[in-house]
Amino acid sequence: MSAVGHDMAEPPQAAPSPTIGWRTRLRSGLARFLMTTLAGLILAAIVHIVTILAIPTLSQRDAVHAYRELGGGSRAELLPAPGNARGLPTPREVDPNVVTAVCSYDLSAGPMRVVARTGTLPLGLTLHRQGGGIVYAITDRAAIRGVLDFLVMTEAQRDERIAEDEEGETSRELRVVSDTEQGLIVVRVLVRLPSDRADAEALATSVECGMAN
Amino acid sequence: MRIFDLAYILALGAGLGLGSAHWAVAGRPVIGKVEVGAWTAWPASGSRAIDPYMRAYLARGVHLPLGSGEGLELIAERDDNGRALDGRCRYHLGGATPTTRGWTIGITDGDGLPFRLQLERSTFTDSEVVRPEDGGLSIIASATPEAGNWLPLPASGRFQVRLRLYDTPISSQTGETRAANLPRIERIDCR
Repeated sequence: MSAVGHDMAEPPQAAPSPTIGWRTRLRSGLARFLMTTLAGLILAAIVHIVTILAIPTLSQRDAVHAYRELGGGSRAELLPAPGNARGLPTPREVDPNVVTAVCSYDLSAGPMRVVARTGTLPLGLTLHRQGGGIVYAITDRAAIRGVLDFLVMTEAQRDERIAEDEEGETSRELRVVSDTEQGLIVVRVLVRLPSDRADAEALATSVECGMAN
Repeated sequence: MRIFDLAYILALGAGLGLGSAHWAVAGRPVIGKVEVGAWTAWPASGSRAIDPYMRAYLARGVHLPLGSGEGLELIAERDDNGRALDGRCRYHLGGATPTTRGWTIGITDGDGLPFRLQLERSTFTDSEVVRPEDGGLSIIASATPEAGNWLPLPASGRFQVRLRLYDTPISSQTGETRAANLPRIERIDCR
């Protein structure tokens, strides 16, 4: 009887403890789940930012990589037509009324000099750095006596050139700093009428880009 | 249990982080977009002040964007009333064009490529277009032939109108341009 009474008396004391244990365990489990989810989300944000910032440096499919072989000589080369023998891709989202020629540059050997003679058709020159982004843009309206002439160099090469400048004399050359050693000089000529295309191609490929020294 | 937690954190971080990064730069990013009327532009894409998302988007493909100071590309996917552009409808492109040395206006698909249509007339330049007496702009875009300046459309489906302005002063202050200074895109009727 006493044993039964003891057994009867036991459950009211023991019954709440499993429910409390179950609840606290659920609560701690939920808290732990929320904490790990929060940690996961913070990690996701870090991964997102790092990925976005790393894409430009890691990408091998950008225009600078694709056209690395073009214009390595002393003149700009026209972009290849689709389905060309060299297997070079055509740029996306281009205007069919524009003739585009490119010169790839590598400043590791020294600064580059770009000389463009202007014609009757609108001409624009842009410097695209590796990994997306335009460093410099100039149009033929800035030409002096029909010639656009500028030097492309890295920051260190510019400092060197400034140090070499004659004391008290201002240098007349236009110096453009590129923050990457590799890049593209893109020449665009607007073809106003279909009959202008040959002129535009001649104008675009007449742009000279060679070593400065 | 601890290993399970760590695996969960790593899976969530890598999956969500890489997935959201891919999603953010798969198309033209929302950051840096400027809307003027029916037109959208990304004026910062051609300058040193490019944002990381646009830079990542450009680096993922063979892109040669126009430099700011060189020109500006405006893209329209909707008409002036906000309805998506559809090949089954006729559109009137009219109104003013901003001060520029030269412009071209063309019909492209969602990737910026011209459609392969029987008539190879996907764009007009400012010299090619025939102007009415008031010197304004009047182009009809439709799948069936039209008199005057006609830009053929695909028989159905979405398309984009791309306006490229060369050597224009508005490239540096695109956000302050009023919609009245850009061509209007009005839907005439639909089949």
